[in-house]
Amino acid sequence: MDNRPSHHRLVRIRSSRCEPPGQRRLPIREIGGAHVRIGLLTEGGYPYVSGDARLWCDRLVRGLGQHEFDIYALSRTRRQEDEGWIPLPPHVTRVRTAPLWTADDDGAGHGRRARRRFAECYEELAGAVCAGSDDQADRFAGALYGLAELARDEGGLVGALRSETAVRALERACRAPAALRAAREARVPELLTVAALLERALRPLSLDWYEDDGLGSADLCHATAGGPAALSGLLARHFCGVPLLVTEYGVQLRSHYLAAGAAEDAPSVRALLAAFHRRLVGEVYQRAAILTPGNAHARRWQERCGADRARIRTVHPGMEASRFAEVGEAPDRGDPDTLVWVGRVEPAKDLVSLLHAFAEVRRAEPKARLRILGAPAGAEGRAYLGHCRALAAQLFPDEAEGVHAVGDNPVSFEEIGAPEAPTLADAYASGAVVVLSSVVEGFPISLVEAMFCGRATVSTDVGAVVEVIGGTGLVVPPRNPRALAESCVALMRDPERRERLGAAARARALELFTVEQNITAFHSIYLEIVAHCPVRRVVLDDAGEPLPFAAPAEAHIPGRWTGSPARAVARGGPGWASDTPVRGARLATSEGAR
Amino acid sequence: MTGLGELDPPGTPGSTGAWDTRSEEWLAGDGDADLADETESPRDPGVPAEADAAARTSPAADPEDGKDRRPAARRGAADPVKSLMHRHRELCERAVDPLEIAAGLEAHGVTDRTAARFRHRDVFSLAEEMYARVPRDAEPRPRPTPAAAPRARADWALLALLPGVLCAATVAGLHLTHGRTRFFVAAGGVLAVSIGVRAAFRRGPLAVPPGTHAWRSTAHTRAWTWWLLAYALLGDGLLGAVLAGGPDDLPNGTTDGPWPLTAAPVLALTLACAPAAWSAHLFAAYARRRLAASRGLEEFSAAVQPLLLGTFALFLCALAALAALSGTALDEPALYPETLALGALLLLARLLTVHHQPHTAFLALAAAAGAEALAPGLVLIGHLPGCSFLAVAVQTLVDHWGAGGVPTLACAAAALTLLWHATRALSRASAHAPTGEQT
Repeated sequence: MDNRPSHHRLVRIRSSRCEPPGQRRLPIREIGGAHVRIGLLTEGGYPYVSGDARLWCDRLVRGLGQHEFDIYALSRTRRQEDEGWIPLPPHVTRVRTAPLWTADDDGAGHGRRARRRFAECYEELAGAVCAGSDDQADRFAGALYGLAELARDEGGLVGALRSETAVRALERACRAPAALRAAREARVPELLTVAALLERALRPLSLDWYEDDGLGSADLCHATAGGPAALSGLLARHFCGVPLLVTEYGVQLRSHYLAAGAAEDAPSVRALLAAFHRRLVGEVYQRAAILTPGNAHARRWQERCGADRARIRTVHPGMEASRFAEVGEAPDRGDPDTLVWVGRVEPAKDLVSLLHAFAEVRRAEPKARLRILGAPAGAEGRAYLGHCRALAAQLFPDEAEGVHAVGDNPVSFEEIGAPEAPTLADAYASGAVVVLSSVVEGFPISLVEAMFCGRATVSTDVGAVVEVIGGTGLVVPPRNPRALAESCVALMRDPERRERLGAAARARALELFTVEQNITAFHSIYLEIVAHCPVRRVVLDDAGEPLPFAAPAEAHIPGRWTGSPARAVARGGPGWASDTPVRGARLATSEGAR
Repeated sequence: MTGLGELDPPGTPGSTGAWDTRSEEWLAGDGDADLADETESPRDPGVPAEADAAARTSPAADPEDGKDRRPAARRGAADPVKSLMHRHRELCERAVDPLEIAAGLEAHGVTDRTAARFRHRDVFSLAEEMYARVPRDAEPRPRPTPAAAPRARADWALLALLPGVLCAATVAGLHLTHGRTRFFVAAGGVLAVSIGVRAAFRRGPLAVPPGTHAWRSTAHTRAWTWWLLAYALLGDGLLGAVLAGGPDDLPNGTTDGPWPLTAAPVLALTLACAPAAWSAHLFAAYARRRLAASRGLEEFSAAVQPLLLGTFALFLCALAALAALSGTALDEPALYPETLALGALLLLARLLTVHHQPHTAFLALAAAAGAEALAPGLVLIGHLPGCSFLAVAVQTLVDHWGAGGVPTLACAAAALTLLWHATRALSRASAHAPTGEQT
């Protein structure tokens, strides 16, 4: 690693600092203590006003006031950057942002040696991406770090990645004998597209964050998503030895596949990009000290892409429980004949199936009513809502109490905030049973809210529903109105069971899905990481001299006393020595390998 | 059902064809109707005969069992994965890797529990089977339609005429006015032409793509360009005056004063903005078409090089014609070598700037401008005692080729260098890559 100061002058993607250089604080050296300095890596999220998952990050940062946070944010669009940040708590000591949406070619031309270095690295990278076999992880990682070192030493990576050298290397790799089937069909426009997209994906390599006063000063890096944020963390780990924690509430690779499936790119482009992202994700999962998927579904994807089970801790997202406390603790005031559905109206929620199920419920319980509460999502959602209203009007004629009363439909479509349902908690409280009829679901937030309200629930078996509900509600297969109806009727006729299930659901939600458990889980994971994988730094005294014996000797013992000690190999050692260690000793060796 | 899973384990088929034939027969036939046929059909070597029989007589696979409410049974599919593939056939055909199918299936609500119905452990292994079973016949995929080549548009085509028109108006104004008015006309004309040139290069084939590095570095390039044009207008007169011991007076806007103007080359060059835009458009459009049609980078380069030379020659012809025209109109000598050399240099520099090579263009322009500035400078220094040897080279050049020899030589050398560079740089595919900028 080249640490000469003269090599740090090149600023590749310019990033902003929130504090002037004079006020920059020196790193805090309480490694392993209760005070941890966390480099929080985000992409298109916190602290931007329009960011994804900013609420979760904000709660995490505010909840862990005893630690220190440095935020490194990658913005996604110019609009996002213009909209500004949300207010930050005082223990956020630094915010550095960098745009990923602009190709900031610094115009630094490479010299002959740098060009050769680039050509070698890119050739390797392209070869690893295009190769049909799956044993290219080492080659890919070597090439990736080679490019990162080149960007750090010489700059000018953005221009180089779009240069003819890169396109030619890609062409050679695609025409190689063992290349992917789809890659062999790549023509010139496809090669150019792939080169441009790879340049986009590799922009974090050009950031000026991986220095001793940047991410190097953090005790651990917490990437709040996969993708570019995790790549930054990976590079910080490579350059500065900072352990990496990756939280994924949605699997980045999966969203990449879904986005690529919708795009109209040529098959060769999609195949090459998919291979690149798969290898990159594999490298991130291999090198991360701990992975925290948000649910079992994300966890399965991570395991599938090569993450070690021993380093995965599922941390469920937390939700604010206090606004449901009143409803959850009060005795059941809900109308025993009312079913409630709450959520955003969109086709994936399968309200049609819910209406058909309700038709069957009405046959068994003629007094039953259904309240559908929620706003439509987008134009498609509005069209779907109209369709559902029409269907409800067809299935259920308006009915009245007597001959002189004005009639009403047993199915009502309302929005939260209307007089009948002023708050979300009131909406849940108004019914006996909360129903979820989705055919596609990620983490079912409305189900968790119903659980907080102590409601009995009937839901379809999709996404993380079974994992969330445990045994505290009824689960039926999706697209099965009859089963849904039978379960609803069973619950409507049995108030005691409803009460039991509701209480159990509330207890389960309070145990698993509160903000506090989320923050506590991350707190203990932070401490675990700094205890297990401390950053090796030379500690300086007041005069700036290295302080001998500042770190106790036992902190340097790589791995376990009794483990396989031969696996502790310095970086740059032979590749076979650090590859595929024995399970169980893996965590230790990955630290020792630095 | 017990033991069925062990008998007929899901797995990647040994041969796609055999599986497909068999499952198609199962789909087409109605249960036991084609039992005899079934025994004759090619059989997957990995599946024993008993397993097949068991699979067909199992309740899940039996289409006769009309009372069973399970959809798979109701639809009579003996091979549930086959019908799943049929339902998601677009996904399967598009998928480049099993994980893409897995992601797509999950987006359609398939979970591990669903996958268990297809006798798979999870969605991933189900997706793997589906990926392996997608028929990949030799039928080539339809080529994606190439991105539409840039079309000629009225806005830039008209704007490209603007500098020439403004320059002609200015020259006419200079001829019609005298004294102070002429000075104001000249100043206004220069301003108008510079605005016109900027407007002409703001859009169309000669516009620099926004957001690139080139976009910021063009300020220097623009300064040198104006210097070169100014020399074409005033330089010959200046050099003559300096050699004669002057200049004694500022230029008065005529061709016969002590510091005469040479307006014909400048008029020809501003008029040539239109042919320059058209030749750049031709080059870009044809290169884009070649790009979509080329299989390899070498093929593309070989096709684009003659194209570049062709459009360049076309532009030179147009420029020569314009030079003759403006010479006749202004009743001045046409000064072909000067005009052609400078025009060639400016076109090549602009093409390189547009195609992501601004640095080289800047260097060539700066070198030519520097050489032109050096000539009168050397002569002036040569007036100093003891330095007369410095002016000898310039004097000799002017004696042989006239005052126009200096800019001709400087621009021609720079243009030739650029031409040599451009034939390599502009025939690369990366020079024609679309800039996918987001804002």
